[in-house]
Amino acid sequence: MSEKIGVYVCHCGTNIAGIVDVADVSQWAGEKLAANGVVISRDYKFMCSSLGQELIQKDIQEQGLTRVVVAACSPHLHEKTFRNACQGADLNPYLCELVSIREQDSWVHTDKVAATEKAKAILSGGVARVEHHEALEPLRVPIHPDTLVVGGGIAGIQAALEIADAGFHVYLVEREPSIGGHMAQFDKTFPTLDCSACILTPKMVDVGNHPNITLLTWSEVQKVDGYIGNFVATIKQKARYVKIEDCTGCGICWEKCPKKVVDEVFEAGLGNRKVIYTPFPQAVPKYPVIDAPNCTYFLKGTCKACEKFCPTGAIDFNQQDEEITVQVGNIILATGYDLFDVRRMPQYGYGRLANVYTSLEFERLGNAAGPTGGNIVLRDGKTVPKAVGIVHCVGSRDQNYNPYCSAICCMQSLKFAHLVHERTGAEVYNFYIDMRTPSKGYEEFYQRLLEEGTHFVRGKVAEVTNLARIPEEEGKLIVQVEDTLIGKQRRIPLDMVILSAGIQARHDAKEVGKLFGISCSADAWYIERHPKLDPVATMTDGIYIAGCAQGPKDIPASVAQGAAAAARVLGKIQQKEISLEPVRATVIEEHCSGCRICNDLCPFSAILYLEDKKVSEINPALCQGCGTCVAACPAGAISGTGFSNEQILSQIEGLLLLNIRQLEAVPA
Amino acid sequence: MAVELSFSKEIENIMYASHGKPIKDCLQCGTCSGSCPAVEFMDNSPREIIGLISADFKKEVLASNTYWTCASCYHCSVRCPAGIDIADMMYALKRYSMWKGEFQEGLIGPEFSESFVKMIVNSGRSFEPLLAATYLPKFSARDIVQEGLMATGLVLSGKMPLLPKKVKRLKNLQRMVRRIIPIGETK
Repeated sequence: MSEKIGVYVCHCGTNIAGIVDVADVSQWAGEKLAANGVVISRDYKFMCSSLGQELIQKDIQEQGLTRVVVAACSPHLHEKTFRNACQGADLNPYLCELVSIREQDSWVHTDKVAATEKAKAILSGGVARVEHHEALEPLRVPIHPDTLVVGGGIAGIQAALEIADAGFHVYLVEREPSIGGHMAQFDKTFPTLDCSACILTPKMVDVGNHPNITLLTWSEVQKVDGYIGNFVATIKQKARYVKIEDCTGCGICWEKCPKKVVDEVFEAGLGNRKVIYTPFPQAVPKYPVIDAPNCTYFLKGTCKACEKFCPTGAIDFNQQDEEITVQVGNIILATGYDLFDVRRMPQYGYGRLANVYTSLEFERLGNAAGPTGGNIVLRDGKTVPKAVGIVHCVGSRDQNYNPYCSAICCMQSLKFAHLVHERTGAEVYNFYIDMRTPSKGYEEFYQRLLEEGTHFVRGKVAEVTNLARIPEEEGKLIVQVEDTLIGKQRRIPLDMVILSAGIQARHDAKEVGKLFGISCSADAWYIERHPKLDPVATMTDGIYIAGCAQGPKDIPASVAQGAAAAARVLGKIQQKEISLEPVRATVIEEHCSGCRICNDLCPFSAILYLEDKKVSEINPALCQGCGTCVAACPAGAISGTGFSNEQILSQIEGLLLLNIRQLEAVPA
Repeated sequence: MAVELSFSKEIENIMYASHGKPIKDCLQCGTCSGSCPAVEFMDNSPREIIGLISADFKKEVLASNTYWTCASCYHCSVRCPAGIDIADMMYALKRYSMWKGEFQEGLIGPEFSESFVKMIVNSGRSFEPLLAATYLPKFSARDIVQEGLMATGLVLSGKMPLLPKKVKRLKNLQRMVRRIIPIGETK
């Protein structure tokens, strides 16, 4: 045996030693695995401590170890620690193997004897495997200093500004004609009741004027190729039919445009807009777009009112969609959320009963720049409601719809209650299941609403109806609910009902996730690398997530995530170069038949087919070493570095203790 | 060794094969009671019954008229955000109550259930004139007259037969029923 292997068995306090007889495992390895090259075997209370690491380093230097096997926790946790320790003692870090006797053994078993035997088998597998390890060098790739931010809501705006302020270039892509996102639609923000536009628009203007930001509105990302440090994104810029180099944003075109349509996006269907429009007065950029499917010129070939009146001749009906490609090193996805479709709950009567509103509709109704100028009135446009009900948890915390808590609705509903009370003096009823106000200043806001005399009814609303049972209910909306605190069913007659709809992932979140090579949870939220310790990174290097695309959250949390993602990107840019794990798959060209089975299976689109050579090739920077292609190749032509057949088969043989059994079978 | 099961566990076991989620998933939101058309006649709202079961208040549950008042409209089961089949729970409680022989005095439900099950086991079919005659006299004379008038109408219009019918191979049905429910021997 040419290799000198050191074995280190960790107690992990009582995490491992409580179930596994660590000293026995260590002694057994020293004796029984000596034939496999084990020259030293130790156990230690905490191998990951600096003293534990020094123990390994000392042995490497003094005993001349050429391989190290640590039996401790999962490689997820401390593989890096022990590899670094080996590197510190001038041993190639990839000659170290960490086997898990905690997650895969002591934590999942209660039988001490069996667990100890299992630990021996796991360790034996590691020893058999490490013999076939090769010294590897990490791949170094340069990082392109530009960044792509997708989504121009508050999270994307914050991320873009942080990176641009640090002196690096940002491409900010937004699907709508203006940045601003949902926050631009709100009137007030909880719990401080700041005017939403007043705090948002300065940031939007900063984005519009920033020399380091290329703003691409009315645009969508079509395709993303490449890998961390070297992404190439193809972006479709939809035709605006307005030459932005000539447009001054004077607004004459939308004043003169003769056609009005219902604004389903920004005004949530409550108001109208012209066919040539900017969504709202403070839009950034200020240039309007023509809504071609509704434009009289595109439909009938006549009109052109906007073109006639434009003082700078900026209208261009011949504009076409354009595709541009940008090179970036990192990508931040801040694609936001969709409102839960309250029509899915017919018992609440939305769409059937006129004065049932969604939360977004109410935001527009209460907005000073909204369709009623901020007057809270019924659908007839003039009647001020005398009693208003606000229904919490619509579509949230419900196994029939979205099982999760949407996080913002309680505070949003309290804000609505305050606005209704302040502007109409109406009686306000909040129907809640649990009141969730866990951030700074939120509970105080709840207290304020209690003092304002808001009626809080604990119970999920069963139904909203207009079928009166008694004369007092005639002509009213009746909310039927159990007041669970008194155990009585109540029917409360109201003039207006606001459904505090939950928030859910964008309808196209899954496709967008696939485009960028990141995965979604069952609810279609993007999955972070670690739910606690790495909330803005994803499992794909170089792709970060921020804001509601990651899960329901309010404005402060979205801003914090936008800034956090920017900090992560800036860290990568400053490194200028990044080292990638050398655990990669490679194609043995002579064995490849060019069947292309692997090409479509690769979840990272890392395999290219070379037409000239008629073989497949793996891009080492893109490959994440998942092994899918290795397993799929019918010719066995793909080998995974660090996971070769030799390594895997040896590990299995080791696990089965075949080597030891053979030795013992030989009669002495 | 017999293990003493808590009341909540007993109900959970009875509902084991139910389509819905276990009642311990209840978040006490009140959707069931808010939706219930019969709640005003109930001693406890459906939500309260779930609370009482979870708290092992067996005596209070068995003394309640709630599940005998349930109209089986299934609004609660359809709307429950926790996915609990509450209407099915009401049936589970009826079965439990009959099994233990403990229920509120003066309720029509337990009497009716018993008569009904006996009739099915004895003849394999429901025969309304006989069924009504077995339990109605205990309750109200006015009801008998009312039911009698309706029955006459039904017979005259040919909607109800005058003589009861039996199923073929009744013994097989009786054996089957005995395997399912602990009703003991019936004549």
